[in-house]
Amino acid sequence: MKVSLYKIETKQFGRMDIDGDKVYTMPDGMPGFSGMKRFAIIEREEIWPFHSYQSLDDPTLVFYIMDPYLFKSDYTVDMEQVAREAGWEGDPAGDIRLYVIVNTSAGVPERITANLIGPIVVHTKRLEAIQLVLHNSLYSHQHRIFSGENGGGGADSRRAVSA
Amino acid sequence: MLVLTRKVGEKLLIGDDVVISIVEVNRGSVRIGVEAPHHVSVLRFEVYQRIQEENLAASRIGSAMDIQQAAALFRRQGAPSEVVGEKDK
Repeated sequence: MKVSLYKIETKQFGRMDIDGDKVYTMPDGMPGFSGMKRFAIIEREEIWPFHSYQSLDDPTLVFYIMDPYLFKSDYTVDMEQVAREAGWEGDPAGDIRLYVIVNTSAGVPERITANLIGPIVVHTKRLEAIQLVLHNSLYSHQHRIFSGENGGGGADSRRAVSA
Repeated sequence: MLVLTRKVGEKLLIGDDVVISIVEVNRGSVRIGVEAPHHVSVLRFEVYQRIQEENLAASRIGSAMDIQQAAALFRRQGAPSEVVGEKDK
């Protein structure tokens, strides 16, 4: 177990010390941010169910992520694809955790969406992560996490998955 | 950009281990076969681009919205998928 400590000045929480065992390496980065290789998952009670996915290479780069099962209990991802693309074949499923990135750019909480076709998959033992790209998926890249007045994305994508 | 002409059934080799085959051509559509090692991801460009754009949009956080307010709303509503489920009935 690494005991290294990362010191970082974050946008939301100010100066923080981050334990090495919360820091994930993304060998391929993420689409649009391929040079960003190290991210920390910062869990804070006041923003739960969201967590910060904080770049350690660029302190100004941060995403909010969350557990997709909290708003879409039937969300599924092909774990064989994960293992193959990440090179984690044979590792216990319990070491692997799934998050989705939320988009808050609409400016109001009710219109927060989650990207269900690009989940962040992390390996808690290897401390590696990938952003999986689900091709041929019927999930939406802008799935409403709150059931909106017009139904949001929830009902639609649920139908699509079971089809 | 390198532009090549290939006939149906002909192939291209990219690097040491990626083979692209032209399977079928029909009215403006081309069916392409890709043989690549498992670790090489093959994606429709639009899908990659959509994720890239979504990542860029999602990274613009901060003053636009108070995440604590959104978190509080989520906690108040419980699991929204259950709400959708009830509407569906």
